[in-house]
Amino acid sequence: MRILMLGLDNAGKTTILKRFNGEKIDTISPTLGFNIKTLEHRDYKLNMWDVGGQKSLRSYWRNYFECTDGLIWVVDSADKRRLDDCKLELFTLLKEERLAGATLLVFANKQDLPGAFSATELQEILELDKIRTHHWKIVWCSAVTGENLLNGIDWLIDDIAARIFTLD
Amino acid sequence: MYSLWMYISYYIRPLIKWFLRKTTGLCELQRICYGEEHGSLRIKGVENSLHLSRSPQMKLLINHLNDISDNQRFAGSNEREILEGATRTVLLVKQINPQVHSQFVKSFSRCVEQIWGYRQLMAEVETLRTTQYDAENLDHERKLYELWKRLMPDETLISRVSKQWQDIGFQGDDPKTDFRGMGLLGLENLLFFAEEFKGPASHVLSHSLHPNYGYAFAIVGINITSMAWCLLREGNAKTYFYNTCKSLPNIRHFHQFYCYLFYEFDRFWIECKPKDIMEFSGIRTKFEENIRSSLLDPHGVFRINVSVDTV
Repeated sequence: MRILMLGLDNAGKTTILKRFNGEKIDTISPTLGFNIKTLEHRDYKLNMWDVGGQKSLRSYWRNYFECTDGLIWVVDSADKRRLDDCKLELFTLLKEERLAGATLLVFANKQDLPGAFSATELQEILELDKIRTHHWKIVWCSAVTGENLLNGIDWLIDDIAARIFTLD
Repeated sequence: MYSLWMYISYYIRPLIKWFLRKTTGLCELQRICYGEEHGSLRIKGVENSLHLSRSPQMKLLINHLNDISDNQRFAGSNEREILEGATRTVLLVKQINPQVHSQFVKSFSRCVEQIWGYRQLMAEVETLRTTQYDAENLDHERKLYELWKRLMPDETLISRVSKQWQDIGFQGDDPKTDFRGMGLLGLENLLFFAEEFKGPASHVLSHSLHPNYGYAFAIVGINITSMAWCLLREGNAKTYFYNTCKSLPNIRHFHQFYCYLFYEFDRFWIECKPKDIMEFSGIRTKFEENIRSSLLDPHGVFRINVSVDTV
């Protein structure tokens, strides 16, 4: 399964990837370019692509769309200032034809921070209910503590698996 | 196979050492100090020999020195006392006459200074790295402003949160979240580069603004901090420090190592003629491999060669 992880800079994409892979997470620097990790989870081989989120890199995101089964959109739930920007980028992304079949998991990350919006609040602010084109779900998590990460990933894998098996 | 070799060498080593001691009249530490020229070969030799020592007194001494350097107490007037104490212990344990072997005393003490100075530097660097950038801390903020002033002397920063930060390669309008896992170390590295290597730093900054081969200066800088920190922690950087430091290694030496890496990375990046910034991960890996292999050369010289280039 090919999974593409995107989101604004400082959302926590690399931290999620490293935490999920069991690596140290306290020595991360901002991602320029991308990181790829291939890992096994529940007998599935996951190809995880984590692409840098800074504004000047976003135009390169499209180079990674091809063959994407699952899209993880990571949100810094405590960064209230940039939620508009976050919403805009997400909806631009969802218009992409090459991502049309992909399942969307929105991670409401950084729930460990005081003042973070909850997943339900974010669902409303980001107007996720407007999404009709993709299977989607929003899941709260904290990449720093690792809480609820597996829940989200498991849902994503189940949804993708169900789709692939129906196609077969 | 490897463990068999370890097993054999564990028993053979003392025999060889005993034989050499009898024939040369010198202990292993003396043979290293007299036989190797000063620099990474000699210091690493002494380090290795001390590390393998089975004498209880020597083990005690090593633990004592580790403890001092981990707690960053190896400095000032303490330093001389510690060095003298360490040398005295070795003279006693190895039954060396300091009058006859005054050259050894001097050379061994310099090795100890470097070995545990390096260890202490690791602790100091780690303290800075784990200090998170804090926008409430006036000292942190002052350093950030200073960085702007040094890199952009002709432009005033309009406000603390400003898109202008992107001109020196931060990601957004507030650099505070860009330091991440490198903490204050990332900022201090950048600031040292801008202050102490003004010419090279502005040269590198101008490359980062190149229309085809440009990159985010500060973010690349923070990634280089991460590389320098890794090389220090894993011990590869010993070649650099042992060959370069004339006295007790300190944070300035680390900053200099960083500046060297940043300057060389920039050169390498331009030479690679990358298609776009997405090639960063690959080029960074290749660059790090090159550095690691040049650190394997015990005579490696790592100096910033400021040259005129035509890019």
